[in-house]
This record gives sequence, structure tokens and C-alpha cells, in this order.
Amino acid sequence: MSEEVVTVRGFRKTYGETVAVNDISFSVRRGEIFALLGPNGSGKTSTLESLEGIRRPDGGVLRIAGIDPQRQRRKLCSLIGVQLQTSALPPAMTVEETMRFFSSYHGVAPRYDLIERLGLSEKRSLQYGKLSVGQQRRLSLALAVAHRPQVLFLDEPTAGLDVQSRVDLHALALELREQGVTIILATHDMAEAEKLSDRAAILLHGQIVKMGSPRQITAAGDGRTRISISSEAGALLSGAPSFPGVTAQDPRDGYAVYLSESPGPAVMAILSWLESAADPLVDLRVERPSLEERFLEITTAPATKGEAL
Amino acid sequence: MNAFANHLTYDFKTGIRDKSKLLMFYLFPLVFFFIAGGLMASVNPGFKQTMLAGMVLFAFMCAALLTMPTLLVTARESGVFRSYRINGVPAASILSIPAMSTSVHMALVSILICVAGIAVFGATAPTNVGGFVVAAILGYLTYASIGILVGVASSNNTLSTLICQLIYIPSIILGGITVPVSVLPPTLQRVALLLPSTHCMRVFASLGGSGATGVPWLSIGVLVASILLTFLLSSLLFEWDARSSAPSKKAWWALLAIAPYAIAVVIGG
Repeated sequence: MSEEVVTVRGFRKTYGETVAVNDISFSVRRGEIFALLGPNGSGKTSTLESLEGIRRPDGGVLRIAGIDPQRQRRKLCSLIGVQLQTSALPPAMTVEETMRFFSSYHGVAPRYDLIERLGLSEKRSLQYGKLSVGQQRRLSLALAVAHRPQVLFLDEPTAGLDVQSRVDLHALALELREQGVTIILATHDMAEAEKLSDRAAILLHGQIVKMGSPRQITAAGDGRTRISISSEAGALLSGAPSFPGVTAQDPRDGYAVYLSESPGPAVMAILSWLESAADPLVDLRVERPSLEERFLEITTAPATKGEAL
Repeated sequence: MNAFANHLTYDFKTGIRDKSKLLMFYLFPLVFFFIAGGLMASVNPGFKQTMLAGMVLFAFMCAALLTMPTLLVTARESGVFRSYRINGVPAASILSIPAMSTSVHMALVSILICVAGIAVFGATAPTNVGGFVVAAILGYLTYASIGILVGVASSNNTLSTLICQLIYIPSIILGGITVPVSVLPPTLQRVALLLPSTHCMRVFASLGGSGATGVPWLSIGVLVASILLTFLLSSLLFEWDARSSAPSKKAWWALLAIAPYAIAVVIGG
């Protein structure tokens, strides 16, 4: 997993006087899932579309397996697979025709196995325009991987999918990673990014404000762990003392909630107090901040210049 | 089957599968033909001489002017072209395949019109079938190239429909499809030279052998120049992505397509 497949160096993209992406750099290695996270208008789509060769960068260097996406479009098409955020295919084309159509332009045999794998085998003769949004997105994914690309771009891949389809898509993404496919994922779904990605970059106002593995990103927050405790008599809710190094929060669903930078001693102290109060423990949960919480913390805080982990 | 042939086959199939295409390629021109054919032939017996050429051109206009631009604009604005681009579909295929697949439908409709026109309405059959076919090919290519250019240059379907109506309606009234250009006042005859149908009808009359004498070289030159210029402009102005609401400045270059017709007006008939 050491070969660098995607290179972004000093990338800049503007639309008139609006700077959509301002001097960002990152690289993605072979077989890595890299998530681009950020609120709407943060520059994710501009970055993705420039890498896909759809948009022309205004500065910097972009490379996909050493190829300049703007100058070597024909080579690029065989190297990358793209699942667009809003998939658009000819509405009168059937699922099977669509697979045959795009496979022929890639010069490969149609991958009907993917149609089956993604649960569309019963819809093979149905026209694209008559598929549900979820089915259209699954077909779009099947087309994106049919020619066995080296780099796969997934833009909001699970938007509009039901639970089972999401699970199937995640399994396929992980399987492709195992096969050495590099995946660049743009998503608003933090749980998805946390589950799938090896590394992530959080974009804000066209700049990378945080980059690293999901664990590194979450650990780089305010560092406090959430401790949620419920007991039979609820003694913690009605008159507990303050514990050293622990900040009490408002109770939630019958749980007393605390934040602490040192969860070990804090839990010990709270459990000791409960024991002394003769109130048996019912449930104890110790949770590190999720990527979503960290994302919100970063994106709602005053902008900070990129910090790679 | 290679990609181009596969694309062409698919595009041809949708001409029958897609209800809007089916309507505009077959039903509308044929229904118009049977109504107008019966009506005009009884009101104006001279119409029988130009009926086949006029109705064939009408079918071409329905397909190329009223259908093709809308399909192109819709495909571009909905992001279909973007999917094509990502998957390596060349722009040349996007521009040429609709015209090629529609030509097959138009050939079928033209045969129906010619057979029914002669059998049902007593229309004058062309004395030179080969010449009639050449004139039909020239006429089809003229309208197909204009339809593609309108689709490429228009930022939305409202604009494309407006532009096409500016060609379509005057063509029916002034362009010799229903009324011979020769019966129009001299000024309107000059104006009619701005319309592709005027030149197409002249070429039909001459090459098909339905009464005209001499080869209308000016009209042939205008049509050939129009076909070449509009295809060239289409390939230069083609864009993959949806446009913003503001019309693209370079789309104004599409107006150059009028040049051959404007020259014909200046030179005169």
C-alpha cells in the first residue's frame, strides 16, 4: 500500500472571483480509501471533478497514476471509474443495454455479474428512467467498476440507498480495496467515512483543515471522552458530587453524562461513589468522540489553516 | 459489436421505444400527411406535383427541428453527456449518431409517404427516383445539421424550441412545402431564400424530375455549404456540461449558419 496513485499538489480552482479550492495538497496510495469531507461548497466536488478531468484546474498539479487528467483524457477513462452524485444516463436505455453500452466504449466485456451482485438482476430489461433512485445509484456503481478501474471516485455513494444496499455497497468498496483499487470517497455521511476510509481530509472554504485517519482526526479534538452511566436508583442524576477532572453534562435518556480527559480514573471514581451510595450499576458506556462530532467541532469553529496528522 | 455500432443500434431502438420520438418521427408527420395530403390535393390539384417532396421535408423537420434539439439539450442539461465523457464516449459520436439513427426512421417514413401519396392521393411520382433520393438525403442532412446546431448552441429547451419554430413555421408557409414559392409576391420569394425548405424543394423538383428544368446550382451550393458549416459549428460549440442560466457568449457564433442563406438572398434566385 505504498505506491502513490493520486497526487494533488497546490491545487487551486476558481469560478470567476470565487475561490472554490485554494492551494490544497494530498496524495492517496494504491488500495487506500480516502474520504473527502466537508460541508456544501467546501470544494469537494471541484476537487473530485478536476481529478476526473471534468473541470480544468486553475493552478497546481493533479495526477492519476502519473497521468494528467486534462491532457490524457483517453488514458484516464480506462484508469478511473466514477459514480457521479447525480447519476444521469439515457432514460430509455435498459439496465442490460447500459452495461453493454459503456463496456463497449471501455473496450471490455459487459460485467453482468455486477448487475446481479448489486441486486439488479430482476431489473435487467427495465429502462433506466423507470428505476428507483436507489437502483439507479447501484447501476451507476456497477458501471463505474465494470472496466476494473485503478481509481474509483464515489460521490455520495449511499445517498438514497436503503440499509441493505448500503451494507452491500460498503462490502463491495472494501472488497475493491482488497483488490488494490484506490477509492476516493466524498460523503456527508460521517459514519460511512469512519467505517470505510483509511484516511480522510476535511475541507472547509476550499482548504484542508484536517487530514489523517478517522481515529487520528477524532483523537485530535478536545480530547474528552464521554462517559454515560445509568444506575437502578438514579443516584447520579439527583445528587452526585463533582468528580475531579470530570465535567458533568445534562442527563440524557436516564443516563448521567460526563466528559473527561482521563476516562480511566473518572470511571473508577464514579463507580466508587455509586457503590458507596448503594445504587447498583445498570449500564456504563465509554465513548470517544465520533468523526461526526469532530467534524462539527471543526466546521463550526473559526477557520484554521490545514493541519495534516 | 464495436462501441460506435452498439451506440447507433441503441439510438435507433429508442426511436421506437421512446414515445416522444415515436410520435415525432412517425405519428405526427404521417397524420399530418394524411390530413394535409387529402385536403390540399382536393383544394389545389397542383399540390400533387410537390406533395411527396413537401411531405417528406415536413417529416424531416418534425424529426430534426422539433425533436433532435430538445433531446440534445435535455441530455446535456441532465448530465447524460457528463456520464458519456467520463466513460470515454467521444463528442463526435454524440453529434453524429442521433442524425444517423434518425435517418433510418426518416427513410422508412419517406417510403411510406411516397407509396401512400401515389396510391391514395394520386401524387406525381418522381421520374428520376435516384435524383429524388439524392435530394432527400441532401434535405435530411440540411435539417439534421441545423437541428444538432440548435441543440448544441441553445442553453435551454425554451430557446431551442423558439429557434426551431422560427425555421419550422415560415418553412411551411413560405418555403414551398404547402404553397409553391412561385405564387408568392417577389419580396416574399426573396425572403423565402432564407429558408432551407425553399432550396430543398428546388432541388427535389430538379433532381426528382417533377417539372423543373435545369440544375439549381445555387440551392445545391447553399445546402451543401449549410450542412458543412453547421456540422463544423456544432463540433466547435459542443459542450459536455450543463450551462448556467446565462447564455454562452460563444453560442452567438451559431448565427454564422445563416450565412449561406443570406448570401442566396443577396445573389437572388
